[in-house]
Amino acid sequence: MKAYVASVGLEKVGDHWSESLLDLAVGASLKALDGRKVAPQQVIVGNMFSSAGARQEHLGALLASSLGLKGIPAYKVESACASGSTAFDVAYTMVKSGAIDSALVVGVEKMRDVEPEEVSLALAMAESVEYTQFVGASFAALNGLLARHYMERENVSRDELSALPVLSHANAVTAEHAQFRKAITPEVVARSAMVADPLRLFDCAPVGDGAAAALVVNENAIGRAKGGLVEILGGAIATTEFSVYERKDMLRFEATETAFKRALGQARLPESKVGLIETHDAFSVVAALSLEAMGVSKRGKAPSDAKEGRFNLDGDMPINTFGGLKARGHPVGATGVYQIAEAYLQLTDAAGKNQAKDLEYAVTQNVGGLDTSAVVHVFGRAQ
Amino acid sequence: MAIQFWRIRDRYYRLMGNRCDDCGAEFFPPVYRCRDCGSRHLADKDMPRTGRILTHTQLHEPLPGFESQVPLNLAVIELQNGARVLAQIVDTPQEKIETGAKARAVIRRVQVDGDSGQILYGYKFVVG
Repeated sequence: MKAYVASVGLEKVGDHWSESLLDLAVGASLKALDGRKVAPQQVIVGNMFSSAGARQEHLGALLASSLGLKGIPAYKVESACASGSTAFDVAYTMVKSGAIDSALVVGVEKMRDVEPEEVSLALAMAESVEYTQFVGASFAALNGLLARHYMERENVSRDELSALPVLSHANAVTAEHAQFRKAITPEVVARSAMVADPLRLFDCAPVGDGAAAALVVNENAIGRAKGGLVEILGGAIATTEFSVYERKDMLRFEATETAFKRALGQARLPESKVGLIETHDAFSVVAALSLEAMGVSKRGKAPSDAKEGRFNLDGDMPINTFGGLKARGHPVGATGVYQIAEAYLQLTDAAGKNQAKDLEYAVTQNVGGLDTSAVVHVFGRAQ
Repeated sequence: MAIQFWRIRDRYYRLMGNRCDDCGAEFFPPVYRCRDCGSRHLADKDMPRTGRILTHTQLHEPLPGFESQVPLNLAVIELQNGARVLAQIVDTPQEKIETGAKARAVIRRVQVDGDSGQILYGYKFVVG
């Protein structure tokens, strides 16, 4: 059975002072449901910390009930920052197998209703409470440790690393759903406040609210009408040693490596055919190591490749075409669904000024923790 | 919350990890199955208390409970047996905190539990 994304719905990422977690989730859901007249047989919510961010759990039933979808299974899937893409993978697997014919996947996160320290703590919960949180290491701290290791081992300069956030911001300028639609220079990155040395504020994805939805269907649900469909050609999730400091080679993103190979294998697609990657740039160093794990760049070379323009919209491998996590924003549990929705927009030629040219196949890569979990999906135009 | 840390106080006070009975690999944090050979036969073992800094950072935005310690120096220390510990570096001039520097474990107050006021102790590292 073939599986497709039939429509998507996006809320702008940012400060939604007037909207609740549920308002955002319903908003994105209705946009996706309005895009295609298919009744979802399940509602699957991707979310990381609604308990800490909005004192709310039981999101599946809450959303289904709010959408008037009585009687169907509805539940939340959590896998840290990879919650959204993991929820999508659950839907994809079931729809592809024919166990169900349609599912509504909704990624949502409310981060701005609570104090920044509470957000830091909620994010740190993706890491070991006993050996990471206990010693006072936040998620940003782990990324700082990784960034220094990367820069020292691979001889990467501050200026090169800055090319990744600069690229994401450049793409976000024309992206309507992006949180920060403002171009920046490497100097802005280098002068921004130190967060976890050597990582500065502009190496790090911002905090923001957001929700994104995707309607996943198979042929039973849509019949022969193939317009506006994007085929899901492959998908894989992989995990590795939980904490980055437990890994023999901290600079190897093995979960991404494995998931990428597996997903492409499922799609029967050679790496050379991939024309675009929405990659996980929660921190500049994570984007670099992700691209290297997917073989797009040689080890230590992703930042200099970015600087040379290889990943620009008109480069040989466009990445993060609507701004990535850095500039579109990173409402953690929603991020994976944003990436998938963006791949959908690209493959339906609906990306407007952010449209990548002559695109046939796109990949999304979303990670939880420091590549502790990695989720990769491969998309193509519906045949 | 303090009980979840009290439960593993020996890990914190003695830097107690574990060792695989079958292949001899040593781990900190301890593992349930050997990462190298898959064995489930592991025994607790105190780790060597010295090693070298593999990478380090200075954190400016602390987690709740660590506000008074900002900026916080953190490092991954590779111990003499190859196990790696994530820990704070304390009592060390900033310029001495560098990759490759020798570091040794000390016992320090790590945090004060917010609800009970209980003081939690654990390992930190000192360069030299």
